[in-house]
Amino acid sequence: MKRLMAPIMSEFVSEFVFATAQYESGDWDSAPLLPANIIDTIARYTEINVAPTGVIVPLSDERMLRYPLLYLTGHLPVRFSDAERRNVRRFVARGGLLFVDDHNHDVDGTFHRTATEEIARTVAPLADLPNDHPLYSAFFKFEGPPTTSHELNGWGDNLVHKHLLAVEHAGRIGVLYSSKDYSSEWNYHPDSKRFMSVDNTRFAVNLVVYALTA
Amino acid sequence: MSVFARLRMVRVILGVGITVRAVAWGIVAALSLVAGAAIADAFVDLSVGSRRSLLLIAVASAVITAAALAWRDRRVSSLLRVALWIEEREPALQFALASAVETGDERLVRAGGSDRWTRSAIRRALRAVAIPLAAGIAAVVVLFALPAGAVARIRSPRAGDALARGGPRPPGASRLSPLIARLQPPAYTDSAATTIDDPADLRVVVGSTVVLEGRGDAAGIVAITGGDALAASSHGDRWSVTVRVSKPLTVRLRDGPDQRLVAIEPIADNPPTVTLTAPAHDSVLRAARGRLILSADVSDDFGLASAAFEYIVSSGEGETFTFKSGTLGARPLHGARATFVASLPFDSLPLKPGDIVHLRAVARDANNVTGPGIGASETRTIRIARADEYDSVAVDAVPPSEADKSLISERMLIQLAAALEKRRPSLARDTLVRESHSIAVDQKRLRRTVGEIVFSRLGEPTGEEHTDDESPARAKSMEELIARADSATNRSTDPIDFAGGESPVVATNKPLLEAYNAMWDASTELELGQPGRALPHMRLALAAIQRARQAERLYLRGQPPPVVIDLAKVRLTGKDKGGSSARRPLTAVDSTRVMLTTRLLRIAELSARDTRAALDSLLVLRIAALSVEPAFATAVGDAATAMRSGNGVRATTAFVRARRALAGAPAARDSLSRWGLMP
Repeated sequence: MKRLMAPIMSEFVSEFVFATAQYESGDWDSAPLLPANIIDTIARYTEINVAPTGVIVPLSDERMLRYPLLYLTGHLPVRFSDAERRNVRRFVARGGLLFVDDHNHDVDGTFHRTATEEIARTVAPLADLPNDHPLYSAFFKFEGPPTTSHELNGWGDNLVHKHLLAVEHAGRIGVLYSSKDYSSEWNYHPDSKRFMSVDNTRFAVNLVVYALTA
Repeated sequence: MSVFARLRMVRVILGVGITVRAVAWGIVAALSLVAGAAIADAFVDLSVGSRRSLLLIAVASAVITAAALAWRDRRVSSLLRVALWIEEREPALQFALASAVETGDERLVRAGGSDRWTRSAIRRALRAVAIPLAAGIAAVVVLFALPAGAVARIRSPRAGDALARGGPRPPGASRLSPLIARLQPPAYTDSAATTIDDPADLRVVVGSTVVLEGRGDAAGIVAITGGDALAASSHGDRWSVTVRVSKPLTVRLRDGPDQRLVAIEPIADNPPTVTLTAPAHDSVLRAARGRLILSADVSDDFGLASAAFEYIVSSGEGETFTFKSGTLGARPLHGARATFVASLPFDSLPLKPGDIVHLRAVARDANNVTGPGIGASETRTIRIARADEYDSVAVDAVPPSEADKSLISERMLIQLAAALEKRRPSLARDTLVRESHSIAVDQKRLRRTVGEIVFSRLGEPTGEEHTDDESPARAKSMEELIARADSATNRSTDPIDFAGGESPVVATNKPLLEAYNAMWDASTELELGQPGRALPHMRLALAAIQRARQAERLYLRGQPPPVVIDLAKVRLTGKDKGGSSARRPLTAVDSTRVMLTTRLLRIAELSARDTRAALDSLLVLRIAALSVEPAFATAVGDAATAMRSGNGVRATTAFVRARRALAGAPAARDSLSRWGLMP
């Protein structure tokens, strides 16, 4: 119980806790294995003091401001409530990084349209994130956003999204938006990594390191 | 002409003369005051208020002067007084005329020579009028001699007429003063243009045009806004600079060594506010039939353009979803406030069990400069129940829940125990113990019921089968009970966090477990014949049951399989190496506040040495803070206004408010976040 309560009850977080954003309108819990997988990845490659389990934090709760990185995903339309919108705005203004991933491997789908509209309304319109942005070299070097096996495969071609989208605030990414469906790509038990020749979750390290550093 | 007719003619002539003289003196008084004010204004800049007051005084003086003179000569209306006035000039009449008026017999006066009375009256009237007319002409000449604008400032005072002020302009005087600003809001706002004298801090709607205008030639006058330099243009004897406002900016006007700052704060056109009034709540429908009435209230600060209802229907589950969307009831709107309605025919969609309809109202305003601003209501969801969910949407009358029944019973037991405690002094010890034991039996029975509610959920034996304190169901502490309850459904030792800090099992059962423990203590005291000592425990139990009844119902989306990473095992086992030292830890995110605080303190120091420079710095600081710390910017603006008006107390108060806007409420903190995120 103490371990369960510790990240919530303490006023300040002394270790990195991977936080999944819970919002009212959609299926926020559609990638339940992703947090553990990312935590595993952080431990594999870095010495960051990371909590062994993630937390789920409602966007409408001010305690969401305690986490430097929030992961938000889903398939269904994203409509923030007033409290959620207010907290997200404060979160970005305080230097937090909200990572939004479209769990539909889709082009201009409903999640994409509603989430991007909601982000524009709440923070600012999204814009293409240049592929030489410091995010891509925060830990591992990437030439741009890593592609996923899920991205657009359902459409039968090899077209992929060339950029991630982002809203920058005070010189930092405040909201990072992905249509690449990392939620599907990374949603597996971390033990399965031993069957992979290349760890496809390495980009998550860049996300975490970018969120924690300048 | 008869004597009396001649007399009445003389009275009319004299009356006209007196009246004209009174009016003329009144006009002279007013013109003199206007001319005097215009001349004074040429040397001392009179405010709009002062000039309006002077104009009122001029008008009042005209009326008073004319009225006073007319009152003084009011006796001209009397024929006898006119007759006496004639007698005074015609001694030969020997009061015959006055006697005739008094007696009404005009035969007392000889008719010859009465035409001299008329001539005499005309001469008198002309003499009376001549002097005020001459004075009036002189005043008019003076007024015409003054610059037209100078007289206009007194005649029709208004904001923005500073440039019309007359008076000599000393050679080498700054062309930046006087200065006016003409504000032209965007056409869609339907607002009139305004003019402001001596602008320093302007607030205008985004998209407005601000024309800064001064006297003199434009050569050499430059307006610097951000990195841009705008040259002033000339028209007549005035110069002007036009700025289009889209963001907070400070206009620095330069005329050689002279500088002047004008801060411009844009007022954002807020998007429409939309409230979906129907449907008022999210709903679950058993079947999608009929029509759903939609209604929304919309309002906007300047004007609405259109509104519509939007719907998205999501179908599917898991990883497979399909969507369809559309709009309903789109219509143009006018004015700042409206209510619009539409209906959603379910048959037209059509909907299957499990489908979710997301509904919201969207309105656009008439902003054609930076907009249109789009406002949306909260989203309501209408879900069509699946076949296996029918039980959850059917509402049937049910008996009170076990928790409710326990509440009633505990309340009764408290009353019995309290009554027994009241009667205690008059009861024998045996009687007290017997009655107290009777209540203890009921209390134990109730405790067993509560235990069954809790432990039956957890799949464990009920807690009351064993009566000794070593019973496995009788936990030694709340922590043990909660851990037992928690572990009953969460197989992990470290379950995920459920948002509120507790797992649902703990959240729902904790109050009942508290009640269970309190009842245990109460029944122990009752068995010992101590109803007074049992009462606090019983009241604790009652409060705990009450909390359990009021606990929010929890809906579980399904708990993901708990995975706890063995950090020690996987630490740094990855094959790839990254640039671990390429970046530095995130510094405090509130550096903006630190920067603003530093600047404010510098300005406070500067204000003691150079008020003008401090004022300019405050304006620049205000514009810089507008988008990041609006409350601070407001306080800084107030401080500047107070300093400009020389009100030191108000300025100090505003400075303090500005500091507090940055510092926030005092708070004691044990440590700082490692990641630099302030709570």
